[in-house]
Amino acid sequence: MLDHLNVRPTKPTRVVIIGAGGFVGGTIQRRLEADGVKTLPLARKDLDLLADEASAKLKDLLRPTDSIVMVSAVAPAKTVPMLMQNLKMAETVCVALADVEIAHLVYISSDAVYVDDANPVTERSVCAPTTIHGMMHATRELMLNSSTKAPVAMLRPTLIYGATDPHNGYGPNRFRRQAAKGETVAIFGEGEERRDHVLVDDVAKITALVLEHRSAGALNVVTGVSTSFSEIAQVIAKQYGVKVASHTRQGPRPHLLHRFFDITNCLKAFPTFHYTPLAEGLERVRIASI
Amino acid sequence: MSKPVIGFAGMSHLGINSAAAAAGRGWEVVCFDGDGAVVAELKSGRLPIVEPGLSELLEQNKTRVTYTAEAEDLERCSMVYIAADVPTDGRGLSDLSGIRALIETVASGLGRGAILVILSQVPPGFTRNLPLPKERLYYQVETLIFGRAVERAMYPERFIVGCAEPDSPLPQVFHAFLSVFGCPILPMRYESAELAKISINCCLVASVTVANTLAELSERIGADWSEIAPALKLDKRIGPHAYLSPGLGLAGGNLERDLATVLRFAEDTGSEVGVIESFVWNSRHRRDWVLRTLHAEVLATNPKAVVGVLGLAYKENTHSTKNSPSLALIAQLKPWRLRVHDPVVPASAVAHPEVIGCTTVLEVAQGVDAVVIMTPWTAFRDLETDQLASAMTGRTLIDPYRVLDGKGVVAAGLDYFTLGAPPLRASGRAAHA
Repeated sequence: MLDHLNVRPTKPTRVVIIGAGGFVGGTIQRRLEADGVKTLPLARKDLDLLADEASAKLKDLLRPTDSIVMVSAVAPAKTVPMLMQNLKMAETVCVALADVEIAHLVYISSDAVYVDDANPVTERSVCAPTTIHGMMHATRELMLNSSTKAPVAMLRPTLIYGATDPHNGYGPNRFRRQAAKGETVAIFGEGEERRDHVLVDDVAKITALVLEHRSAGALNVVTGVSTSFSEIAQVIAKQYGVKVASHTRQGPRPHLLHRFFDITNCLKAFPTFHYTPLAEGLERVRIASI
Repeated sequence: MSKPVIGFAGMSHLGINSAAAAAGRGWEVVCFDGDGAVVAELKSGRLPIVEPGLSELLEQNKTRVTYTAEAEDLERCSMVYIAADVPTDGRGLSDLSGIRALIETVASGLGRGAILVILSQVPPGFTRNLPLPKERLYYQVETLIFGRAVERAMYPERFIVGCAEPDSPLPQVFHAFLSVFGCPILPMRYESAELAKISINCCLVASVTVANTLAELSERIGADWSEIAPALKLDKRIGPHAYLSPGLGLAGGNLERDLATVLRFAEDTGSEVGVIESFVWNSRHRRDWVLRTLHAEVLATNPKAVVGVLGLAYKENTHSTKNSPSLALIAQLKPWRLRVHDPVVPASAVAHPEVIGCTTVLEVAQGVDAVVIMTPWTAFRDLETDQLASAMTGRTLIDPYRVLDGKGVVAAGLDYFTLGAPPLRASGRAAHA
């Protein structure tokens, strides 16, 4: 749950976005700038978190009135070297934060930090990741939280979709690309597994709200509606006039059949914010990707 | 020899009802409270609490009741009950400083040989640790139910009495007083009695939690919990009086206090109490059922929605708003305009930037997009759903406690949402949530 330190929403003085060159970071940057918030976007070309002297460089850039959004990651982290690389990137930020005062830190984490059998998942679900990716985010949360005296918000989005998503993972992003090429949309088995999918614009909007309220704590960035891959495939196939085909699954079925979230804390934290329904989000993505 | 006089110290909900029942059973009682204003109100016949039958009971027995703000007046009592409220904080933890001070005041003025009985809700170990002679000190479990307090006090199921030496007979005056109620008397050691009180409430919470958990499942799979609960009550292992009505979590403060006490003792002793933690979380989850339903049905698509709230008290037949689900809901509706009404609780109890207090139900319904019935007052059962639907702008009626007949609501053109069953839609859309 989040605590709002700003009683009234107030524009941050400046938001430093570490990882602004990425899919999520770039969307957050555009959102903040559209809201009239001053930003300092840092992509890898501006600040390579794995480079020597990166901490010193970041420290020099920071001001006491800055809010920071840390979204940079090599994701998904599937191997031990990737895990260590991500922790090294976080360490760079932690070293810089240890020496400077800032106003607020927002870390874009992941719902992968939660134990697999949490159902429905809430912010009080046990953080006991079973994947390297989840462990990476859980560790980075702890590292960042312990490196600054500023209020820290951990945002834990679930599966993110959007026009410029680079990962092409199984779900809306891959389905859309298949359909856009005129191919059949391929689902595994019956595609019955239900997951929550959040539009990247909503992740950016929540981030902006958290910055305005100078919120501290944890919040899941999830819609609260879980949809089967089969249903998503059908929606996208209809959008593009193609068919859905079932393929034999490569390897075992996911151990987690469905994942549900309870978004009551979000309703309380930001009562006038409501997530984009999946069908509407998929249509927006289709139009944006034309 | 004249009949002994029974004292009651602390004119709380518990104290007033217990004293009234004692008078009703033919005993002369002295009602003491250190707050002169409370005593003045009681003397004038104005009760600070709402409880069916209470004012009549006191009126019928007024010759046997003395109200006083002077502790010395308790000196003529053979037995004095400590019946003060023990306040709790937001986490359900008790503040025992007030009751300790009251006990000290009363004990120092007790008559020779008089006994002291702690009736207030105290944690295990409290009574034995009091620096008072144990042969004159007892603890008695109270099982007051708000809204049914007179009935419970006049016709208790049993008396559970905590003693220093449970094998020794109770003092004559204590035994004589309890015996007139005609129910079993169960003496046990102090700690057992103190934990018995908590155990009773944990059993009640367990039943309520089962009902709430399976009611939620009912809502999602097309079952109706109101059809299931009567079947359970016919099972001898469950029983006709089991708490099986789904609700909006725990409220009122007492059940929450007992769960907090168990959790605190578990922390001190290493007991495994995962189930108690689950009770607490289930309660918090269900409390927000109306909030989630309102967002899903109205607020997500109507940023200018006006919401009508019927009921502010935490349950019917009481003025208490302690942990009231209604006030908890209202606290989360700050961006929207509200119209509210409660038969007893004034709108001034509501902390909200845009709330209008209404004197009638239909006034609440005027122009609102949704009506929520947050307290199952009997008066709300007489609502004419056609008039309600005509007055409303929107089509959503949320009635967690099933005050109204859902089919009648739908026939009036409204969508109906209640605990334990799928939504009923006037438009005939899919019934499942």
